[in-house]
Amino acid sequence: MCTGRIEPEFIIKAFKSGADGVLILGCHPGDCHYKEGNYKALRRFHLLRKVLIQFGIEEERLKLDWVSASEADKFVNVVNEMVETVKKLGPLKKESFVA
Amino acid sequence: MGGRAGIYLCSCGNNISDNIDFDNLTSYLSSLEDVAYVKTYNLFCSEEGKNFLYNDILAEKPERIVIAACSPKEHEKTFRDIIKKAGINPYLFQMVNIREQVSWATEDKTDATEKAKAYIRAAIKRVKLHEPLEVHKINCNTDVLVIGAGPAGIETALLMARANRKVYLVEKSPCIGGKVARYEDVFPKMECASCMLEPKMDEILHNDNIELFVNSEVLDIIGYLGNFTVKIKKNATYVDKEKCMGCGACYEVCPVNVKNEYDYNLSERKAIYVPYTGALPNVPVIDKEHCIRMHPANDICKEAFEMGLITKEEYDLYRSETCDLCGKACMFEAINYEDKDEIIEKSAGGIVIATGFELFDPSQIKELGYGKIPEIYTSLEFERVLSQTGPTSGKLLMKNGKEPESVAIIHCIGSRNKKYQEYCSGICCLYALKFTKLIKKHSPSTFVCHIYTDWCVPGKDNQEFLNLVISECNPEIIRTSLPLNILISQKGSKICLKYNDLTGDNKEINIDMVVLCPAIKSSEKNKMLSLMTGVSIDKDGFFAESHTKLAPVSSNIEGICIAGCAQGPKDIQGSIAQGAASAGQLLSILVPGRELELEPIIAVIDENSCSGCMTCVGLCPYKAITFDKIKKVSCVNPALCKGCGTCVAACPSGSAKSMHFTTPQIFAEIEEVLK
Repeated sequence: MCTGRIEPEFIIKAFKSGADGVLILGCHPGDCHYKEGNYKALRRFHLLRKVLIQFGIEEERLKLDWVSASEADKFVNVVNEMVETVKKLGPLKKESFVA
Repeated sequence: MGGRAGIYLCSCGNNISDNIDFDNLTSYLSSLEDVAYVKTYNLFCSEEGKNFLYNDILAEKPERIVIAACSPKEHEKTFRDIIKKAGINPYLFQMVNIREQVSWATEDKTDATEKAKAYIRAAIKRVKLHEPLEVHKINCNTDVLVIGAGPAGIETALLMARANRKVYLVEKSPCIGGKVARYEDVFPKMECASCMLEPKMDEILHNDNIELFVNSEVLDIIGYLGNFTVKIKKNATYVDKEKCMGCGACYEVCPVNVKNEYDYNLSERKAIYVPYTGALPNVPVIDKEHCIRMHPANDICKEAFEMGLITKEEYDLYRSETCDLCGKACMFEAINYEDKDEIIEKSAGGIVIATGFELFDPSQIKELGYGKIPEIYTSLEFERVLSQTGPTSGKLLMKNGKEPESVAIIHCIGSRNKKYQEYCSGICCLYALKFTKLIKKHSPSTFVCHIYTDWCVPGKDNQEFLNLVISECNPEIIRTSLPLNILISQKGSKICLKYNDLTGDNKEINIDMVVLCPAIKSSEKNKMLSLMTGVSIDKDGFFAESHTKLAPVSSNIEGICIAGCAQGPKDIQGSIAQGAASAGQLLSILVPGRELELEPIIAVIDENSCSGCMTCVGLCPYKAITFDKIKKVSCVNPALCKGCGTCVAACPSGSAKSMHFTTPQIFAEIEEVLK
């Protein structure tokens, strides 16, 4: 399984099920275990962010980053930063999905 | 779908139970409707733990199993094997990592317990939707294709052949041994390169298990591990290797002289030639580009005569198709002017890519004057100057026939420089030292200087070699900074080098001969081979290993290994080690009589709903999806698919499905974990 498997629906499903933020972490570009799935993920991520904004979901609530298995420190930092970002934004407004 | 799950919680010594309230967790999980039972054990991975699990599954016969323990990376396979042994399909199982992801990561015990509940709940919902999957088996071909007959390819071919495997060894040039066979001596022990390689090359020529294709190229590769089909183009050589005795009578009479690319254009050869003295196999080839008989101009000439554009006299004067000097000179009737290019199809179970390297072209750096100033050589050209089989028959001579009084060796040309190659090629310092020793051997009075920035001589014997050369040959050592800042110009009969030393001062030195040590570069042809095979290339154009440390000769394509400088710059011993490693890899996978197991976690496409848009075909990084023109649907080859799921996420009609990672399974997991 690869970030290339991530369907935009997974992200929408997560927001709909109560997530206040979604973090996608993949292999570094050029270093993808499945060759190029991360590039596909990157393309879909940019498109999806545009859609989320239209739903009133702040774009910071969805983040994509590259972390390899050997980058424990980076992983911790990225997760902590994401938690901080989401805490600042507060809970996702449910009305986002009503429109 | 699915049934109730048996839950097993591992306390992992106290690694997990110390920070998760197991009583609370057990009673919570027991209350869930999809749970049959909850059992706790300390160390399911121990022998006792495994026995307990096995016997308990036999007794309880759960419909689904969830094990909450360490990372699946650590023990998913262990548990799958036990579950399978206990008669349950191992894919009706889900593992939850409550150690690395929960007890070790979440400090507060109450938080950790709640987090564990959510993760296990998600697994219970997910495992309900699991489908039993079967591991399919296929027969495999145990023959091997080796591309490139340098030291790495030779090593693989020999080891495979000794293990009784049929080897197809394809080499683009007319001879084997790669660049190394054209060197004089090799570092650090100053062994004669051709003497060192000759026994191996001889074995290649005489081993019945090896079919050697020289002057040949691989045109196409399709298939997968155990079942590759390979198209090899065998270019016409016009010489029958069975009849040829290698006497050389043919090239002695050939009237055509052309630059010899095997001496880097430092000498001339004939249109029928062996690349250099001692080249193996010792069978000449006709270079049809330059042979006056084969030359396409003959056809034009004939056409012009037939159209009346030229007279008979002119035609006889210009046409040369009648030249058969080599044919007449051959006492063994080995010359066959009617020889044609052949396309040969072979089947192989595994492939080794050992296509070698190219040198960085120093003329890209204008300041170096390479290509303009005659007495500036690249390292490979200088190898030929020093070689007994080279243009000067092993004498250290300049193009004017005189011995140089001084030689400058400049390190790091196009290396360790972000503008060109950022990496260190790792062998240049060592061959530069070797050159020093060889120059001094030829001409003890010749002044040798090294312009360098760092000595990179790791590995056993190499530092010792550096110390030895410095103390024995006493070369002038000039240290500069990176990036190199050198301006080279012709100044009368001398070459003038202007450079900055470490303190930044402008310095100048006048020299007879300059040897550049250019970076080892990937071959331009790697791109084609990468497209053909699906093997990834890295940012520098070398074939990428599947893991830098753990799988240094495996590629991303199963059954295709990479060896030698095709994978990255390295010395001869490194190349041979990789050649041997590749043979070992393939021998361990391609065992006669053994079937290959196909991973069931792959993509499948429902042909009833596939609209045939072919989005997936272009997206698949493994060339695993083909389009069935009759049914007008896309089909996944289960032997090629790696289960990345890229096609599944992209399929607009939802016809592509990731086995074991289906959308409903992932949705169930997301929903439960967020509840």
